Amino acid sequence: MSAIELRKVCKKFEQANKQLRNLRVLDNISLKAKKGEFIAVFGPNGCGKTTLLNIIAGIEKSSSGSVRIDGKCPALAKVGFVFQNYNESMLPWRTALGNIELAMEGQKISKKDRMRIAEHYLKKVGLSRHKNKYFYELSGGMKQLIAICRAFAYDPDILLMDEPFSSLDYSTTRKMELELLNVWRETAKTTIFVSHDIDEAVFLADKVIVFSKRPARVKGIIEIDLPRPRKLEMLSSKAFIRIRNKMLRLSEYET
Amino acid sequence: MKHKRPYYFIAPLMILIAWSITANLGIISPLFLPPPQTVVLELTHLFVSTQIIPDIAFTLYRTIIGFLIAGIIGIPIGLLMGYSDKIYHSLEFIVEFFRSIPATALFPLFLLFFGIGDQSKIAITSWAACLVLIIHSMYGVRLGKELRMKSANTLRVKGFALFQKVIFPEALPQIFGGMRIAISLSLIIVVVTEMFIGTSFGLGHRILDAQLVYNLAEMYATIITTGAIGFLINKSIIRVETGVVHWNGK
Repeated sequence: MSAIELRKVCKKFEQANKQLRNLRVLDNISLKAKKGEFIAVFGPNGCGKTTLLNIIAGIEKSSSGSVRIDGKCPALAKVGFVFQNYNESMLPWRTALGNIELAMEGQKISKKDRMRIAEHYLKKVGLSRHKNKYFYELSGGMKQLIAICRAFAYDPDILLMDEPFSSLDYSTTRKMELELLNVWRETAKTTIFVSHDIDEAVFLADKVIVFSKRPARVKGIIEIDLPRPRKLEMLSSKAFIRIRNKMLRLSEYET
Repeated sequence: MKHKRPYYFIAPLMILIAWSITANLGIISPLFLPPPQTVVLELTHLFVSTQIIPDIAFTLYRTIIGFLIAGIIGIPIGLLMGYSDKIYHSLEFIVEFFRSIPATALFPLFLLFFGIGDQSKIAITSWAACLVLIIHSMYGVRLGKELRMKSANTLRVKGFALFQKVIFPEALPQIFGGMRIAISLSLIIVVVTEMFIGTSFGLGHRILDAQLVYNLAEMYATIITTGAIGFLINKSIIRVETGVVHWNGK
C-alpha cells in the first residue's frame, strides 16, 4: 500500500461569471508515494501546486478522482503542513518553543513530553538557544525552521510543504534545505515538497514530478539517484547537472 | 525615538501662547475667556483646597465601572459575532442601528429604567462603550488571518482550544484599540450625564455649576482637569497594551 496515492485527481473552479468556462487547475493528476519517500513537485508559478497540496491535506475537495493516505481518506489522516507564508501560519504571540508545542496540544500529550519533543526538534535544527525568543524576534529562515519543527513534532502520517523557502535568499535556502534533510532523515516521513526552484527540487527529493502550466498535468517523473545524505558539493556534481538538464528539457517552456 | 519628550510640549505650548495673547490683550473679553494665569490659579486653588477631589473620584468611579461593565458584556458579544456568521447576522442590524444614535439621546429611556442615581449614569456609559467594544472585538476576529486558523486546524486544534489559542490572541490588538476609544467615550458620557442628570459630585456637575454662575475660571480649570484625566487613563491602557500585545506590528 502506498503512503500517498492520487488517482486521476481533477480540480475545476466555478467562475462567478457564467460566460467564462470553468477554470481548470488540475488535470488528471495521478501519483504514488512509497512510505518514507521524499517527492518534489516542480512546476511554474500558478500551475496549481498549492491546490494539489490542499486537496491532499483535505483542506479543499477535488472535483473528481480519489486521494488516499495510508489507504484512508485525507480527513482521517494526520497531515503535517508547512505553509509558504510563515508569518501568517505561525503564532507571533508565542515563543519558538510554544509554536512547536501547539502541534501537540490537539493530542493527548503531557506538558512535559511536549516540551521534551519540542526541544528535541529545536536542537536538531540548531535553534536551542533561541527557544524562548518570541516568534517575531526570529529571522525569516529561523521562522520557517520552527514551522518545519512544528510539522515534524505533530508526528504526521505524511508531510506537505508548500514552497517553504521561496522568500529566503539563495544561501539561506541551501542552509535550510540541509537542516530540513537532517530532520527528515531521522523520521523519514513521506513528504511532498512543492517547489518552483529546480535546484531545490533535485537536491531534496528521491523523485521529482514535473508539472505543466495550468491546468497542471504530470509531464514526467524523474528519479533522483543521488546518494544520501545529500551534500552541498553535489549541487555542482556531474550527476546533479545531468538530472537538472533532463528536468529542464522535460519542463521546457511550452509557450 | 530618542528625543520624543521636547516634541510633546510644542503644540500645547503654542495653544497656551495663543490663549494668553488673546485673553491678556483683551481681544476676547476676560468674562468669556479668562487668561491662563487666572485659570491656573483657580486650578491650584481647587486642588489645594481639595474641593475637586470628590468630583474627580466620582467621575473616575463612574467611568471605570461603566467601562468595565461594557467590557464584560461587549467583548464576548463582539467575539461571538466575529466567530459565528449566524450570530453576526442576528445582531448586525441592532448594532449598526444603535451605533449611530447618540447615547445621550436615550437619556429618558435610561432614566425610566434606572432612575436618576448613579445607576442610570453608569448604564448609559456602559451602553455607549459597549457598542464600540462589540464592533472592535468583532473586527478583531473577522480580520484575523485565515491561514493561521487553517494551519491550526491541520494540527487538530479545534473548537474552544482554537478560539483560546488562535482566534482570541489574534483579536487582542483590535480589542485594545477599541478599549482606548471606549474609555475616552466613557469619560465623555459620564461628564455629560453629570451635567444633565442630578448629582452632588462629579466633574460634569462642577463644570455646569461654574458655567451657570459665570465662574469661567473654575469652569476651564475643571475642563482641563477632565482632559488630563482622559489623557492619563488612555496612557495607562496603552501601557498595558504594549505589555500584553507585544507582538503587534512586528
